[in-house]
Amino acid sequence: MVHTVTGGSGSGKSAYAEEWLTQHGKDGHLLYIATMKPFTEEAAEKIARHQRMRAGKRFAAIECYSGLKRLDVPENAGILLECVSNLTANELYGEEGRMKDWREALEDITGGIWHLAQQTECLVIVTNEVNSDINGYSEETECYRKLLGMVNQRLAKMSDRVTEVVYGIPVSVKKDEEIVE
Amino acid sequence: MVLIVGGAYQGKLDYAKNQFPDVEWIDGRDCEEEEIFSCGGIHHFHIYVKRYMKRNIEQQIIIRNPQIVIVSSEIGYGIVPVDRFEREYRELTGRICTRLAGEARQVHRVVCGIGTVIKG
Repeated sequence: MVHTVTGGSGSGKSAYAEEWLTQHGKDGHLLYIATMKPFTEEAAEKIARHQRMRAGKRFAAIECYSGLKRLDVPENAGILLECVSNLTANELYGEEGRMKDWREALEDITGGIWHLAQQTECLVIVTNEVNSDINGYSEETECYRKLLGMVNQRLAKMSDRVTEVVYGIPVSVKKDEEIVE
Repeated sequence: MVLIVGGAYQGKLDYAKNQFPDVEWIDGRDCEEEEIFSCGGIHHFHIYVKRYMKRNIEQQIIIRNPQIVIVSSEIGYGIVPVDRFEREYRELTGRICTRLAGEARQVHRVVCGIGTVIKG
């Protein structure tokens, strides 16, 4: 089962995704794969907030900012990947501050997530909808928007379920279809 | 409590007025801070949040005006803003609306003037 959870900022995606996996994952350890780099004060605060939310739940956390294709994880009852918008930025802008070709980034991101999906019975992916505003952005940001849009479309294809969370309310977009790919 | 959300210029207020014809409205762009506790409905709620930036305002609304109808624009569906205040405002609006949605007996979402009840 692959379940993609999308929505806007501050809409309760993480809380929903955690809750869903806690209920639908089997008994045993759940893995939380964190993609956000804790390098700014705001990022550190956000990470701490998510850690508080997960406290008391049965998650073990792994940090992986990019290169999911090379990540082999231990046996688990379910995986929560959070979040694809950070992963996409990390993959696109690269470790050395050089921008990758977006097609290469697209393959690395979706291939990496597919690799994760092979290592669990239940993968929940948290992504973000960032493309419903004006596009007066720089070429680099425009490239990011396009890439994340394509990543989200591929994720939806490989997912059995897609849910958009609107202020904490799950709105089903795709449900229980055959896995494509 | 009823919450009506959707993107900008989707006809949220017209929809709300149709659904709740007896409600008297205040405008979050120019109302007084305290009016939110006595009004029937407020539109441009996201601007009210921006003007006062009060954390936990939702708790006071829930206690002091539990029958209110709130119309608010969804503003979290874009690139994270460069400006720190804009980031905080956007995030705060999301958190407040999530808690209001949790309390509301109904949540409607309006797209192109058409409302869908997503809760209740």
